[in-house]
Amino acid sequence: MTLVARRLDHALQQRSRRRLVPTGTARRRRLVGIEMALAVAGCVGGYLLFIDWARHFEVRICEQIVLALGVDRVSAALGDSFIVFGPGFEPVVAEMTGSCSILSSVLALAALAVIVLRERPQVVVGFAVATLFVLAANQLRLLLSLLAGRYFAVDALIFFHDWIGAVINFAYTLIGLLIMIGMTMYDAQRAEQDHTGRHTADRPEAWARPGLGHRVPLAADDAPQDAKVQVAAFLHRKILPRALSVRLARRRERTRVDYRVGHEKAARRAAIVRDLAGKGLGVHTATLLAVATHETDTGVLDALADAVAARQWEPIANADVIALRLWARAWLMRAPRETGPAPTGRLIAVTGAGGPAGVAVIRSLQAAGDEVLALDANPDAVGLRLAGRAAVLPRADEPGYAQSLLAVLAEHRPAALVCTVAEEYQALAPLTGRLDGIGVRTWLPDPASAETCLDKVAFATALHAAGVPHPATAWTADTAGLVPGPWVVKPARGRGSRDVILVDEPADLPHAFFTVPGAIVQTRLEGREFTADALVARDGALLACVPRWRDETRGGISVRGTTFESSEVTATVAATLRAVGHSGPANVQGFVHPSGAVTIVEVNPRFSGGLPLTLAAGADVVGTYVAGILDPAADLPPLSYRPGVRMARYFSEVYYTADAAPVADPMLAGVAR
Amino acid sequence: MTGGVASPAGGGRHRRAPEHFRRGLLTHALILAAALALFGVDRTLGWAATVLTIVFLLFFFRHLAFAVSAARWAERDLDAPLIGVESFTPSIAVLIACKDEELVVDGMVAAMLGLDYPADRLTVVVVDDASTDGTGAKLDAWHAANPRLRVLHRPAGAGGGKSGALNDALAMVDAEIAVIFDADHQPEASVLRRLVRHFRDPKVGAVMGRCVVRNGVESNLASTIFIDYLSGYLVNEYGRQALFELPAYGGANCAVRTGLIRGLGGWNPHTVTEDTDLTLRLLLDGYRVRYDASAVDFEEAVLSISRFWRQRYRWARGHQKCLRDYWRPVLRTPYLSPMEKLETILFLWVYHVPVLCGLGLVLIALRAAGIGGSSAVEVISLSALLFAGPFTELAVGLVLGRVSRKAVWMLAGFIPAFGMSILTATKAYVDGMWGTTYSWSKTARSGATSAPVQAPPPVMAEAA
Repeated sequence: MTLVARRLDHALQQRSRRRLVPTGTARRRRLVGIEMALAVAGCVGGYLLFIDWARHFEVRICEQIVLALGVDRVSAALGDSFIVFGPGFEPVVAEMTGSCSILSSVLALAALAVIVLRERPQVVVGFAVATLFVLAANQLRLLLSLLAGRYFAVDALIFFHDWIGAVINFAYTLIGLLIMIGMTMYDAQRAEQDHTGRHTADRPEAWARPGLGHRVPLAADDAPQDAKVQVAAFLHRKILPRALSVRLARRRERTRVDYRVGHEKAARRAAIVRDLAGKGLGVHTATLLAVATHETDTGVLDALADAVAARQWEPIANADVIALRLWARAWLMRAPRETGPAPTGRLIAVTGAGGPAGVAVIRSLQAAGDEVLALDANPDAVGLRLAGRAAVLPRADEPGYAQSLLAVLAEHRPAALVCTVAEEYQALAPLTGRLDGIGVRTWLPDPASAETCLDKVAFATALHAAGVPHPATAWTADTAGLVPGPWVVKPARGRGSRDVILVDEPADLPHAFFTVPGAIVQTRLEGREFTADALVARDGALLACVPRWRDETRGGISVRGTTFESSEVTATVAATLRAVGHSGPANVQGFVHPSGAVTIVEVNPRFSGGLPLTLAAGADVVGTYVAGILDPAADLPPLSYRPGVRMARYFSEVYYTADAAPVADPMLAGVAR
Repeated sequence: MTGGVASPAGGGRHRRAPEHFRRGLLTHALILAAALALFGVDRTLGWAATVLTIVFLLFFFRHLAFAVSAARWAERDLDAPLIGVESFTPSIAVLIACKDEELVVDGMVAAMLGLDYPADRLTVVVVDDASTDGTGAKLDAWHAANPRLRVLHRPAGAGGGKSGALNDALAMVDAEIAVIFDADHQPEASVLRRLVRHFRDPKVGAVMGRCVVRNGVESNLASTIFIDYLSGYLVNEYGRQALFELPAYGGANCAVRTGLIRGLGGWNPHTVTEDTDLTLRLLLDGYRVRYDASAVDFEEAVLSISRFWRQRYRWARGHQKCLRDYWRPVLRTPYLSPMEKLETILFLWVYHVPVLCGLGLVLIALRAAGIGGSSAVEVISLSALLFAGPFTELAVGLVLGRVSRKAVWMLAGFIPAFGMSILTATKAYVDGMWGTTYSWSKTARSGATSAPVQAPPPVMAEAA
């Protein structure tokens, strides 16, 4: 150990042993002791200084009352005395002694007000009213004493002094104390419990101070009623200048907890917290601190910590803001998080968050560091739980969709909107201008092209015209018989494998055709089924084509697949997308005949449910598409991929309560059960 | 970390105290007679008045200091954020002794089953102490529906009162912390986490929570007791912790290390206030008691004056006995500083002060009759102690509790209550010194506000 280190060590030891610095408890005791000593000194000093003045003052008031009443045989005030002539004209000097004055009572009340109740400003009014009461009561006592001496006997006058006087003095001082306490307490509107201990303030349970009232339903009569005279409201509306009133309101807001927030659901709480923090940390500080103190939902706490972290530029308004920043620092440092991607700072909205394509897009964006606003018509859509922000919209074919969508996007202001439901294109296309207006960029396919893809009759016609191999297709009962079998009968507009019937016997064909609504009949193809995930640039160039074998599907979704490479498939896919005039993401389905011939069955003008395999194979179609949305003029690169990558899917779960609060995953390591 | 055992050198093991103190009573009388004979009535009574004045002023400033400290710091404490309550979860055994409690047992058990604590770290044991009503059957039905609730039936005549029941329950469990409730109690769900967080400090032997009256709506007396509890817990108990770190362990809504309580020989069956007794034994063994004003549970207040009298008499009798049992060990213990010893003695003396108040009133009456010296001073100090001190505590309790203004009129009810406390404490003092036999008297319940808040009581099974 060096000499410097030794000396430093010695100095530190000396310092810790020094008894001059008291413990926290001893310091508190000392502070309270000093306060009480000052109060006693104030009472004694005040009495010595003011007692003569107080006696004269009270005698003068009493003199005025006697004069006003017209009582005879009582002299005018002689300093601090009266001369009273009793029934037999015997004179007596009635002197106002120190113990007859209210000064000691007033000083005691003042001392209690200052050292005990000063946290409540209402104590000032309480003290003033209590003092007036004590003064009036003592004047009454003095007057009665003089009258008793005047009309009954001199002894009676004395009767009001001495120890009986002391008892009377004590009684009205006690009543004065009760008046002061009562006026310092909370009125029914602001109180949190009534005199029987029932909770009356409707505080959210998690946010309420513990033990402030037993929670039982209150009868209408017992609930706190609005005060008949609202002094504060009158003062602010009619008396105070508006500027001062507003200034006071702002100051009040800083220290007022808005308990309504605690009654909201978790997602809404997070949004409110962002809004409140967005106005500045010094504006709704008490409410933000209450969230940091009581909130248990990690989503809400994340939102608050992020909001606080985003406002580090802001000048510190008060000590509570420092407390908030310290909390946010600890919260963001709380546990070694998995090393995720660096945040891009972008917010991307994704529609169809409940579908497999939507979920794949959300996860892909999050993996790239984007924040996601998930949108879906189903409040239970799983993607709503995966994304940091979420909103439920009406279905695209329902009225109010456009309005709701615009409102949500205007609130969150995402940089881009990714649509994973092709049926929404029709509703979205007219909104692109307004979306641009609020800074939300989109890249939607040409409506006619999308329509061609969705309508299998138009699609067959287009492919036929372009010479792209497509199974023989009929859409009328007359021509259905001309299509060679075996057949597949499906709706002209449909998703997944809904209402698809496989027919082998010619006799069954008419029945199947009339069973399926809006049916078309196609020759069922032989060979191996594939799907190709594709991305077409705005100029029509094919940026990506990642074909995969559909080794196993469930409900129309690929659950097992393998990427492969085939120039014929790629060429046919490119020709198909050219034929329909598509741009943006698409998935193209078809068959490869054992002979090698490629036939295209349909095109979905959106991302596919098997998208994760394409991403795993190395083709970042999502990232490239988003880049193309954000910069329409960008020269997007062609994407390569790795053939032979296999995918086996399994179920995964998220858990949440009815009010959307997340529930811990029991299968995650480190989660206590 | 949480399983300390009492040191053998400690003075905390419970002891058998003398049956009576008649000799002490006689000594007091002889000293008074000698003083009267030697110095005359006026001088003797004058000296007595002076001594009383000093005592009254000491207690007045003690109460005032508690009020000042609570007014200054308690408001923020109630709202203060909890730290690390999810990560610190020592095993807990909740122990409840029940005797003829069928009116309240459903609400209590439902509240216990609703406590927020990891299920594998929590055991709930309810002791049916030879109940003669439907308590046992109700508990069995609850156990059938919720096996994690354990029920112990004690036979009639097992003895020991509440302490005996708790000791039997303690023998059944293997947890680090025992948390005690009474049968009429309904804790808030967070109470366990709030109580046990203080056991991170190995010096802490027990933690006291805050009891709140829930049936104030049933009678004016209950409403008055509700306000009394506010001041008792939010001001008095809070102040003892803030200024001296010496809060008292109460009989319910409190946690204690099981290793310690076993080392101390269990709860003391020879006292009727086993809580104050345990507080002293822990302090004498070098441990500390902590108080958590935010660990809240709701209980019933008594509804009739006679029950109120019996309850307060029991408290006074037991508390006064603790002073007689422990004042010497407290003065000798190396674990308390002189200031802490003074506060502990004042705390133990609390139930003697009403006796002295009665004496002060007698002196004033004698003075009014022309006997004795000037009593002006003690009128002021006595009124300060009797009214200004408690009313200041009550005022701070009402403000901290955010009770509506209407409650201020309930304070008038405290004036006869102070008078009654003079009578109960004086009777308890005389009975205690004379050695009148006294055993635990159970507090009767109303049950009107004990509807289960978490789950309905299970349907009684025939098999049960």
